[in-house]
Amino acid sequence: MIVPVENEIELKNVTKAYGSLMAVKDVSFTVPRGMVFGLLGPNGAGKTTLVNMLTTLLKPTSGSAFVGGHDVVRAAARVRSLIGVVLQENNLDRYLTARENLIFHAKMHGMPPSTYHPRIDDLLSLMGLTERQKDFPNKFSVGMQRRLVVARALVHDPRILFLDEPTTGLDPQAKRMIWDYFLSLKGKRTIFLTTHNMEEADFLCDQITIIDHGSPVASGTASQLKEMAESSWFYEIEVDGRSDEYLRAFQRLPFIESASLEDGMIRVCLKKEGSLGSLVEQIDLRDLRRINSRKPSLEDVFLKLTGRRLRQ
Amino acid sequence: MMRGAICIWQRDMLVLRRNLFAEATTVLAFPLTFFLTFGLGLKGYIQEVEGVSYAIFVVPGLISMTAVLAAFDDSAWGMWFHRIVQKTIEEYRVNPITVFDIIIGKIISGFTSGFLKGLVVGLALLFLTGFQFKLLFLLSYLLYIFLGCIIFSCLGSLCGTLIDKPENLGRIEAVVVMPIIFLAGLFFPLSAYPDSILPYIKSIPTTALFDGSRIALLSGKMDVFYLLQLSISAVISFFLAVRMFEKKMHG
Repeated sequence: MIVPVENEIELKNVTKAYGSLMAVKDVSFTVPRGMVFGLLGPNGAGKTTLVNMLTTLLKPTSGSAFVGGHDVVRAAARVRSLIGVVLQENNLDRYLTARENLIFHAKMHGMPPSTYHPRIDDLLSLMGLTERQKDFPNKFSVGMQRRLVVARALVHDPRILFLDEPTTGLDPQAKRMIWDYFLSLKGKRTIFLTTHNMEEADFLCDQITIIDHGSPVASGTASQLKEMAESSWFYEIEVDGRSDEYLRAFQRLPFIESASLEDGMIRVCLKKEGSLGSLVEQIDLRDLRRINSRKPSLEDVFLKLTGRRLRQ
Repeated sequence: MMRGAICIWQRDMLVLRRNLFAEATTVLAFPLTFFLTFGLGLKGYIQEVEGVSYAIFVVPGLISMTAVLAAFDDSAWGMWFHRIVQKTIEEYRVNPITVFDIIIGKIISGFTSGFLKGLVVGLALLFLTGFQFKLLFLLSYLLYIFLGCIIFSCLGSLCGTLIDKPENLGRIEAVVVMPIIFLAGLFFPLSAYPDSILPYIKSIPTTALFDGSRIALLSGKMDVFYLLQLSISAVISFFLAVRMFEKKMHG
């Protein structure tokens, strides 16, 4: 394994404004070589704007950003030769077959046929698309299109990968297969991942930065971030019916930090220790099925830091 | 710098080749209808225009019209589709090519498509009329078509870059492109215009294209003023298309 010593990605006071709207505000951080870096945030937090600046699609309003040691504004073409990009949308060419999409990408990178044909064969096989390589992408399911987009980003074996919600629309099996592939690149390639999938961030990322309203609110490893929430008290409560009614009642209680309903369980976070008794008093014991204490998740950390759920 | 432009042009030609039959059939329908209705339908009423039969008079214009409209349509809708619908322009832009590669690739594709479609229609119409032309006259005529396709491909790319709503692209075609083509003496000689209007009509680059190309094909004469006008228009539209695309891409 390569020991990360250099910063492959570096942002210094980067800001992006659209008129009076600040999409990204004074962001600075570094991503060492070989690391899987996760940027977490809800929709509209500024994740995609950051990715677009780092992949040279957008110019920062102020500040500077470097990818692979090159300035994203002054040496944009050099940056683009080092990176592979999976953007949020499945922007495939529907007039080219799956294989032709990959060949076109290889040609854009100046790869000769003797290099790109075997590479494309491997990637099509890895993504389970060999049998469909002569088909046009508009005949593919969303998940297959996504796999083809990921394959396309890997054709030229990039040093740095930017993945903007890479597994959106994939079934669990395909998601796992792609995660395993990204894991196999750990230490060899630098991966910059944006997601609002907690499981994905927890599974893949060495370092996570949580961003909200265009600014980072916390940074660290998944376990460091979870420690930030350990001063809170998390419980899962299952009641017989009337879950919505109880949820609304809990949300009005002054000692509740947050409460939500997930898979039939009411998830609550208490502001201070010793409030559980007061909470239980609110429940008709005939309705109560069980109460579990639980460890904080990244979702809890996010909620605690921003007051919002990731998918809000 | 040109690697990306060549890749994009090759991609567009692959797609064009794949749909060759459908494209050729479609492109023939419009000018052939005009030829049948105006060229043959009015032939009995209009004996000769500027020394040639009316059917022969309209043929050079119909070929030019097909070529430049195809160049405009392919560039405008191609750029719009890649930018707004497929979002493949974003994919192009994260590769190690420049925005100039993209716009130049698209302009060359529009030009090639227009030129080829013009040739298809030209062959069909020349076959139908049995018109005999001299090779040198044809080469002069092709020079006009060449410049016309560049101008309309650049203008199409410009519209495809700046216009987001498809209905507005259609409006530009109906309100700007078609009028400047029809006003340029496509179906009648410029001498039909009153003297007070003629200078304005002559200042439109499409007049230089349609009148100049007709004169070139029928008599072999090259109008230097027309060629200069077309060359300047080609240079201006090229720089406009490239500059606006670059501006749009970099926000």
